[in-house]
Amino acid sequence: MELTENQKDALSELINIAFSRTAASLSELTGHRVLLEVPKVAIHPIDELSNALAEFLPAEIATVHQVFSGAVTGDALMLLSYEGAVMLTDLLTDGVGTPNRLDASDREVLTEVGNILLNACLGMFGNLLQVHVTFSVPRLHLETLDALLKSLVIGKEGLRYALVVYTSFRMRDSAVRGYLVIALNVASLDRLIQEAESWEERQGQ
Amino acid sequence: MEPQDKQNASAKTTTLEAHAGISEEQAMPLTAAAWRWFNDLSAQGILITDAKLNIRAWNNWLETHSGHRTERIIGQNLLEVYPDLAKRDLDEYYKDVLAGQVRVISQRLHGYFLPLPPGTDDVSFIHMQQSARIAPLIEDGRVIGTITVIEDVTERVAREDQLVRLLGGEKAARAEAEAANRAKDEFLATVSHELRTPLHSIMGWVQILRKGKVDSAGLEHALEAIERSARAQTSLIEDILDASRIITGKLHLDVRPVDLVSVIEAALDIVRPAADAKAIKLHARMQPLPGLVPGDTNRLQQLVWNLLSNAIKFTPREGRVELRLERIGSEIELAVKDTGQGISEDFLPFVFERFRQANSTAARQHGGLGLGLAIVRHLVEMHGGTVRATSAGEGLGATFTVRLPLIDIGKTPESGGRDNARFPQSVDQEVSRSDFEPPFNGIRVLIVDDDVDAREVLNLGLSQRGIEVQAAATAGEALMMLREWRPDVLVSDIGMPNEDGYSLIGSVRSLELERGGQIPAVALTGYSGVEERRRLLSAGYQECLSKPVDFDELTTLLANLAAG
Repeated sequence: MELTENQKDALSELINIAFSRTAASLSELTGHRVLLEVPKVAIHPIDELSNALAEFLPAEIATVHQVFSGAVTGDALMLLSYEGAVMLTDLLTDGVGTPNRLDASDREVLTEVGNILLNACLGMFGNLLQVHVTFSVPRLHLETLDALLKSLVIGKEGLRYALVVYTSFRMRDSAVRGYLVIALNVASLDRLIQEAESWEERQGQ
Repeated sequence: MEPQDKQNASAKTTTLEAHAGISEEQAMPLTAAAWRWFNDLSAQGILITDAKLNIRAWNNWLETHSGHRTERIIGQNLLEVYPDLAKRDLDEYYKDVLAGQVRVISQRLHGYFLPLPPGTDDVSFIHMQQSARIAPLIEDGRVIGTITVIEDVTERVAREDQLVRLLGGEKAARAEAEAANRAKDEFLATVSHELRTPLHSIMGWVQILRKGKVDSAGLEHALEAIERSARAQTSLIEDILDASRIITGKLHLDVRPVDLVSVIEAALDIVRPAADAKAIKLHARMQPLPGLVPGDTNRLQQLVWNLLSNAIKFTPREGRVELRLERIGSEIELAVKDTGQGISEDFLPFVFERFRQANSTAARQHGGLGLGLAIVRHLVEMHGGTVRATSAGEGLGATFTVRLPLIDIGKTPESGGRDNARFPQSVDQEVSRSDFEPPFNGIRVLIVDDDVDAREVLNLGLSQRGIEVQAAATAGEALMMLREWRPDVLVSDIGMPNEDGYSLIGSVRSLELERGGQIPAVALTGYSGVEERRRLLSAGYQECLSKPVDFDELTTLLANLAAG
């Protein structure tokens, strides 16, 4: 499954709207201007995700993971390299935590930020599809990319594809690159892309 | 969830039930039973509201920590009971939850969720530090309320803060150690430079003299230069050895009651030529009869000498160095003030640190190792005193003030000091070195040293002063000459192969009186510590001098010993 340029534009624009709200609330929360950019959106089969992400992520990663269910079911993840996660929490909290590592309070900050971001994104998709999704409590995992992706595949036959949003947090002259991964079954993803396209068409009218 | 999505059966369960895997039929009685236990057992705060945020459940934990009785708070609106939530935009979080989302409130971004008093005795927090999670309660696809779980993380935060402080302290300690290491490297570079400078002069003049084309004035000049360089190097080595003794804790004091006035006079004598050379006015104002301090005369003189030479070194030509000595209560205060380059505020805290110099680059104007003031501080502290440096800033001069404790009034100096009754009323004076020539003629001195150059230098130096000298290269040779030549005094090196100076004096002292067994003996040693001196004196030597030898000092000593 490949996205056409139109589909990419439509999805990027929608995610940007969701992100701008997230960026505004993060700015307010931290007292620093936070910008969230979406330079690229792509779709990968789950079993090829490892190759697609390994290019950008080291083995050790920090992930905020939320399961969502309802008319659309899947997994939503925010992925950062461990160093990126340390840097992001330092930027968000003025570096008050333990240097060079994520302590329990840092992990909570990451969970809160990932949660806001993932919910904004999925909330936007829910509105678009006119469905309501229910979220699990977000969990933070510190593990290898492979172990994480393996846990996504196991026991979820319907999960075939993942929407990957290449993301960049910009604040205080620094940028932390991360990824949002929304794993969906084919039917949901297909519907999402169609709805995004018709939304884009409506905007153009 | 919109009504059209009702076909999804899983949406008919509440979040709580869905996660617990409970069916709809079982839900109600189980929920009620479970709540009773949540209420009693939970070590966290559990708060349930309806969709208007009216409080519907408030567990025991919350009752205990908030002071709000459950029966009174039920039915009240959460945002009205805690207006602080809206002030901190946490009402927005509830709006998101009422729209079906889950929210995490992290302690590090928010500090706390509800303004509750701290549950621990930790006084560093006004509020109990909390993190919280809020989830929607969904029934038939509609959000019918919220559940909030609040956790007291005060102890965790305190532990994390402590770790940050510890790591910060460790980082600072590491930076300090690295700075000390850098200072040592710079110091070694300085040592190498400083030791080479006089060597360069000595070697240069020796080569010139070897050519043999030097007239008598030139020869005198060359010898002066060589002597000056050798003395400078001796002084550098003394400083390095002192620093080493300080580091290894081997600097010992020979403590007696000391009159500082005489110590200062001696130090002034030594530095006067250096001050004169730069046309620096050296002025001493000493209170008469200031009292005695318990101390080591030589070390106190070194201390004063270091302060004075430091002041002279950093004072430009035609400047002024003032020394003041006065009694203040039960202490004596010595201040050395100069009109020199002063000390910047940045460097002032480090001025007494070993290996530290304000400018340790090769471009610095002044020689020296940067050990003098570190030695001063150590000596002062060993004497139970304090030293401080003050300066109005760079270019504005500096003052070094030493305070030493006085001995209880009534005691008099046992030795080394002057008779207090003979002190002038004011010792505000110019100092000059008095020369006197003791009668050396006819003294017979036997020199023992395995090193041919050292033997020759001693032989020549003493012979020039009218002393009759014979030299031996080994202890055996010395014993033979002692018997045959009958010298008045024995001067022996200590570090010799086979039989050393200790062994020699042992053999000498075992001889009968008429065979020279009681001959006065002087030890020459490279180690000038108090311990070494004590060992040599108890081995049988009358005196010991450290190398290199000052011939004036040695000849005076020899004359005294020969005279009995």
